[in-house]
Amino acid sequence: MFKLNFKIALRNIWKNKTSSLINISGLAIGLAACLLLLLYVAYEWNFDGQTFDPSNTYKVLINNVDANKKITNTWQASTNAIAPLFKSEYPEVNAAARIDGAGMKLIANGRKSLKRTACFADPDILNIFDYNFTAGDAKSAMVAPNSIIITESTAKDLFGTTDVLNRSVHFDDKIDLKITGVIKDLPKNTSVFFDFLMPWSLDEALTPWIKTPSWGNFNYNTVVRMNPGTDPEKFNLGIKGFMHRHNQYADGQLMIFPLNKLHLYDTFLNGASIGGKIEQLRLFMGLAIGILLIACINFMNMATAKSEKRAKEVGIKKTIGATRSSLISQFLMESLVLTLLSAVLAIVLIELCIPVFNNLLDTSLKINYSNIAIWLSLFVVVLLTGLISGSYPAFYLSSFNPVQILRKRTFRSGLISINLRQVLVVGQFCFAIILIISTIVIYKQIQFIKNRPIGYDINTLVQMPQEGELYGKFDLLKERLLRSGAVTSLYQSSGTIANHTSSFSGMEWKGSTEADKSIDFSQIAATYDFIQTTGLKLIAGRDFSKNFASDSAALLLNATAVKLMNLADPIGQPVMYHGNKFTVVGVFQDFIQDAPGSKESPLVVAFTKGWGGVVTMRLNTANTVAENLATIEKVVKDINPAYPVELTFVDQLYAAKLKAQRVLAILSNLFGGLAIFISCLGLFGLAAYNAEQRTKEIGVRKILGASVSSLMQLLSFSFLKMVGFAIIISVPIATYLMNNWLKGFDFHTNVSWIIILGTALGTLAIALLTVSFQAYKAANANPVDALKYE
Amino acid sequence: MIKIENLEKVYKTEEIETTALNGINMHVKTGEFVSIMGPSGCGKSTLLNVMGLLDKPESGSYKFLETELLTMNDKQRSNFRKQNMGFVFQNFNLIDELTVFENIELPLIYNKVPATERKRLVNEIIERMNIVNRSGHFPQQLSGGQQQRVAVARALVTKPKLVLADEPTGNLDSSHGNEVMELLCELNEQGTTIVMVTHSSHDASFSNRIINLKDGHVISEKINKSRTEELI
Repeated sequence: MFKLNFKIALRNIWKNKTSSLINISGLAIGLAACLLLLLYVAYEWNFDGQTFDPSNTYKVLINNVDANKKITNTWQASTNAIAPLFKSEYPEVNAAARIDGAGMKLIANGRKSLKRTACFADPDILNIFDYNFTAGDAKSAMVAPNSIIITESTAKDLFGTTDVLNRSVHFDDKIDLKITGVIKDLPKNTSVFFDFLMPWSLDEALTPWIKTPSWGNFNYNTVVRMNPGTDPEKFNLGIKGFMHRHNQYADGQLMIFPLNKLHLYDTFLNGASIGGKIEQLRLFMGLAIGILLIACINFMNMATAKSEKRAKEVGIKKTIGATRSSLISQFLMESLVLTLLSAVLAIVLIELCIPVFNNLLDTSLKINYSNIAIWLSLFVVVLLTGLISGSYPAFYLSSFNPVQILRKRTFRSGLISINLRQVLVVGQFCFAIILIISTIVIYKQIQFIKNRPIGYDINTLVQMPQEGELYGKFDLLKERLLRSGAVTSLYQSSGTIANHTSSFSGMEWKGSTEADKSIDFSQIAATYDFIQTTGLKLIAGRDFSKNFASDSAALLLNATAVKLMNLADPIGQPVMYHGNKFTVVGVFQDFIQDAPGSKESPLVVAFTKGWGGVVTMRLNTANTVAENLATIEKVVKDINPAYPVELTFVDQLYAAKLKAQRVLAILSNLFGGLAIFISCLGLFGLAAYNAEQRTKEIGVRKILGASVSSLMQLLSFSFLKMVGFAIIISVPIATYLMNNWLKGFDFHTNVSWIIILGTALGTLAIALLTVSFQAYKAANANPVDALKYE
Repeated sequence: MIKIENLEKVYKTEEIETTALNGINMHVKTGEFVSIMGPSGCGKSTLLNVMGLLDKPESGSYKFLETELLTMNDKQRSNFRKQNMGFVFQNFNLIDELTVFENIELPLIYNKVPATERKRLVNEIIERMNIVNRSGHFPQQLSGGQQQRVAVARALVTKPKLVLADEPTGNLDSSHGNEVMELLCELNEQGTTIVMVTHSSHDASFSNRIINLKDGHVISEKINKSRTEELI
């Protein structure tokens, strides 16, 4: 029986090539989209899952409080004092590691030098994270202070081989380190990412002030592994006052939060997680399932539309003695065979799309074919898809009464089935239309915030990290660069102008209250020529200038800060900045430093000589960009030969701010397009069957004098009606959803009627095109052939 | 073999009620070949469907070898049908996706006959029906007469006690039609009981007895002497 059913399934697929093609390609696209998104979801889900004991591994967070002990915000950072004290004070702490993500640092083998992601950590990190050692071992790798663990790809890039144990590398142009371990490359979905790892003791040796336990410098991360059975709630109660107990001025409240959950639930309110990236993930899962359902609906519709043909088979089999369950299993088998074929095609599609997808989303997804879990989930998805898409046809077709079928030559499917088919088509198009409207609104919003005036001249602005000799010899650098003619102006600062890099609170000014001390200000520490280089618009006062010796304690404010501080005449006002007296010398117009869609926060640009990090330069427009860059590189290399010159255009950094929205736009665009495509495939199939069923009617009408256009109208109208219905249902839903989404931006566009009208007409046009192809074919056929068809 | 009493069947469509069978009484003896004739809409196909347990009458009794069939539930009916009855239709009703061999094999599969036994039975009947060289073909590749022979083969492969034929020659030209009728006669002579619905008095002349229906009643019965003598 199984064999026979299988044979019938294959022969049916082969015989009805058009519908099989529609079904298989639709299902394959649906499955591919679904599996790809599921891969992505799994990737995000497994974030920071590379630990020995994920359920007992936590990150130490800090809840900042205001004067009334109310939690104002939650930071994922902690100080260097916490981990060692945790280990000595709490027996339930199995391992605790401070982690200092040092950013991109230089690592060299002789003359070959590279910049790779560096990290310092307590040796306990090897008891928390399960790194895959290919040489050396976790016990001994971090014992010696001058040791280093590197990843395989770093080893290959530096030495051309991974067999590098006990060899020596030169770190940051400062010190030789012995390689004590080689580990497999880390996956991208970890919050503690590095290309090489060095012991904390080395960090202390290179930067002595790190040795001093600090309660105010939140520059590090602390990860702990608790003993099994520890109740985190109870533990959190105990460590709430930990900081204050050790330092009377520290009032932040500590808590531990599961490390592997932090990535998805990283939005905190009042010290409790209220969500985060998980919402985006849920959206993607919804999309995945939606696309797959659309493909399943195609299958159901095609199968029930074909029921006339299958009815005879059902009738005969029932007469001969088939039971209903044997027929149900036959039809389910057919849908499973089809789904299986689609799955094979889907895997091919995924393999083709994965590189593009990874590129767009900056992920490292791949199908790991040796992973049983992948096969298992694939099996489950295929099984579910097959069952869902096959269930309705199976129960519907197997319910036919043999007498009815076999007696009447023309069998008409019941009223209810037609209605359900229509409902399914309407559902498909609703989903597609909602996605399309969303995509357009997202694009419009991106365009809207992209077009907001940035506030400074972003073109021809480049920046580079200030490292090595560039700190001490900054004045020389400045003089040489200006003399070279490549740069018209430059300044050094603590961070880029493109992004928010640093915050502080506790500022005092004339008329400020105690409560004002808790206001968070953004800050940039800068030196001379800040305004001149960036091209910010001054509202009052002036730029930092060498002509005023007093400018060593001067600062600039943005308009929002002045408004917030309620200063009527800000210029010349004294303020307390980090406990020192500064004078306001200038006020500049707000510019976009945070997210382009939100209001600007108050910003303080303070003159600070020792706090560098970034050199920002205004290129000379008299030369070509390439010439300028070449000149800059030559000058910089001359002064700072050990480091590669890394120039970044500020407008590129700015563009990266819109990445999250762009990813959303790309995905909804992609899946909206797929949804429309698959829906139209289904419509195409239905139209084809409809035309086929009505061949005789069309022939008769034609003989009686109907025109081609009136026949096309007849054949197309019912389908357009369904799409029209879908538009009526989906437009309010999409408008509501997108208005809600837009509310998340301080500056936002609106869902205009042009978008809705455009989408409606576009969808109708695509549907009309799809259907009318079949209608035209049917209406133009020779009526005599049509009548012979019976 | 079959005893039918006071059979009534009414079709209801929205507002109109059509009485298809209006108190039918009839019987069929084991080994008989009975034709049912009558004008269109007289209820002959309905009667055949009721006899084949494909349709349920409103009232009456239908005994098959002393077993009352009308009180059975769907599952029992289905079981009884596949064990005791074979069907031949006007439009053959072969499954297009299956080959001749597979079509004939199908009822055996539903009767859970083991594979080797199935093969033997199918080959036997294929030989008997003279369609050996066609066993791998699909129905569309055969002529109407050949298709009907496959259908007859399928009806007989389970060795049913009763074969029900609904206008078996209706879609065939006269020479093919005669072939099929001769085949049915031959089967009947070998002991199979046959009930056939037909329009054609020529076809009816092959049977032992002709029952005439009109408006759901049996209006006359005629014994075909030339055939009946053999039976007795």
